[in-house]
Amino acid sequence: MADPLVTALGGGWYVVDDGDRRWRVAVAGHGDTQWVFVNGQVATVTAAKAGRRRGNSSEAGVMSPMPATVVAIHVTPGQVVTEGDTLIVLEAMKMELPIRAPRDGVVKTVACAKGELVQPGVNLLEFE
Amino acid sequence: MTLVRGPVHPSLGGGGIRRLLIANRGEIAVRIIRACRELAIETVAVYSDADAEAPHVRAADRSVHLGAAPARDSYLDAAKVIAAARDSGADAIHPGYGFLSERAHFAKACEDAGLVFVGPPAAALERMGSKIGARRLMVAAGVPVVPGETPADQSDASLEAAIARVGFPALIKPSAGGGGIGMKIVGSAADAVDALAAARREAQASFGDSTLYVERLIERPRHVEIQVFADAHGNVVHLFERECSAQRRHQKVVEESPCPALSPAVRQAMGQAAIAAATAVGYRNAGTCEFLLEGQGDTARFYFLEMNTRLQVEHPVTECVVGVDLVRAQLTVAGGEPLPFTQDSLTQRGHAIECRVYAEDPALCFIPQAGPILLYREPQGPGIRVDSGVAAGSVVSVHYDPMLAKLIVWGESREVARRKTLAALREFAVLGIHTNIPFLMQLLEHPQFVAATIDTGFLDREGAALAAASVSELPGPALAALAEHRRTLATGTNPLGTPGTVRTQGTDPFLTLGNWRG
Repeated sequence: MADPLVTALGGGWYVVDDGDRRWRVAVAGHGDTQWVFVNGQVATVTAAKAGRRRGNSSEAGVMSPMPATVVAIHVTPGQVVTEGDTLIVLEAMKMELPIRAPRDGVVKTVACAKGELVQPGVNLLEFE
Repeated sequence: MTLVRGPVHPSLGGGGIRRLLIANRGEIAVRIIRACRELAIETVAVYSDADAEAPHVRAADRSVHLGAAPARDSYLDAAKVIAAARDSGADAIHPGYGFLSERAHFAKACEDAGLVFVGPPAAALERMGSKIGARRLMVAAGVPVVPGETPADQSDASLEAAIARVGFPALIKPSAGGGGIGMKIVGSAADAVDALAAARREAQASFGDSTLYVERLIERPRHVEIQVFADAHGNVVHLFERECSAQRRHQKVVEESPCPALSPAVRQAMGQAAIAAATAVGYRNAGTCEFLLEGQGDTARFYFLEMNTRLQVEHPVTECVVGVDLVRAQLTVAGGEPLPFTQDSLTQRGHAIECRVYAEDPALCFIPQAGPILLYREPQGPGIRVDSGVAAGSVVSVHYDPMLAKLIVWGESREVARRKTLAALREFAVLGIHTNIPFLMQLLEHPQFVAATIDTGFLDREGAALAAASVSELPGPALAALAEHRRTLATGTNPLGTPGTVRTQGTDPFLTLGNWRG
């Protein structure tokens, strides 16, 4: 079976084409717990490391949103970056996940290594 | 120049009502506001601290804050509600259901304040409010009640005679009692002596009074109710029945009309009984006579339970099948006009099913759920109606009834309506709090529901198994959407507003699934 094709419709709604048929799926939630709806069924899905804040990037650094493998590091300490620059590339669920700079700044430290399995809520990189 | 203006809408049917205060919240308040809009009646919503942003407040022309979130400080405070009506210039109050709707003192207070109470006269509320008094009135009016008596002579012989009169199986219970203590089932005359002795002992021990009450035990009854409507011009009609046997702990879950167990002759007899009941108490406006139905077809027997002296939650199934607007008719009648329909004009067409969507978790003993609704989408389509009092962003409060919405579906036949309801439930998305939607889907697919053989004890016997069956596997495609949702969250793009397509893998070994219900 081919990888599913996901089309975001906006408003939390997605159409997923699994190669055989289409599914209309709704997703909501921002924190550790997300809610998923399909065909009248509802699930809550919780990040594996419950209790740890699933990190989004903050002023101080960037975090992985989910357990993932570091596949590339594009910056080194001292480097000046602009908001939106790709800093690190993670892979999870056979999908590349670029971690971008949340703001302009200078990289202070890189706290992960290529090939490392990182957990959500852990700093991957700090800004000065 | 003097501008003289007559009534802007002389024939809309709102009677003399010009501005109505709705002393309620949630879906029923929204429903009443909608009817008012059709009649060009201005609306005043009331709200507690918890409901300042609620849909019923947004829908109304005006709103008045009542008080703190607990109902006793807001929606149940009759003085505050009447003051709100006076201050906002309302000339009528619709109480909805629950809260103050069946409080005779509130109806009286409205009358005293010169406000039209959209409901029965306070005197009718009083007469039906007392169970014993109502039973006596019904017997006098020739309405069948569950046979029962407290014999003055409490000897074995006298009680055995009473048991024979009410019929087998009989139930004997302490006259002073309650809560099932001392209740004994008597299946045949041979059981009577032992049962009487045991019941007397338990009655004496628990209540200090061994007087026994004897009544017919109705086994596996259905709950069937008749909608009635009366105006101030002497017209009393019935609008056929609603079948409400799908109840969990006396809480109705699914209602439908017509009742599949009623023959035309029994339906006719129940309708006439309900009209007699309404007439006997001097009823006016919309009301409902609840009956227990024993058996089915032409041999079925029915017994008056009580009269609900207000609009019912499940009124929409009648509206769908009979083709009327009961709330509009309530306003018309309260405004002093005659009923907008006659008995001869009323017929049943097709079949309607109502599902109550509750904020409760069937997988965790139906615990009520509170919290924000993150995503909300109602089903749509021909014959599909949703009456709701919530929207995306609403916060479900612990202070009130957990009913979020009602899904009402009409179809040409019961089976068409059932299938249509299932399809609609599959499209009803509520995220952020758990609801009973997966449970409702299981219920509607249960062989006994399909066969229409549910009695009032069905959900208390089978509810747990149905709830367990509503838990199922998370399909892979749902995970693919979840992964994409998380990716957009992670990359800082707004997941709620960014259409686009991405190819992704639909399995996710890193996620812990919790509480998947299907």
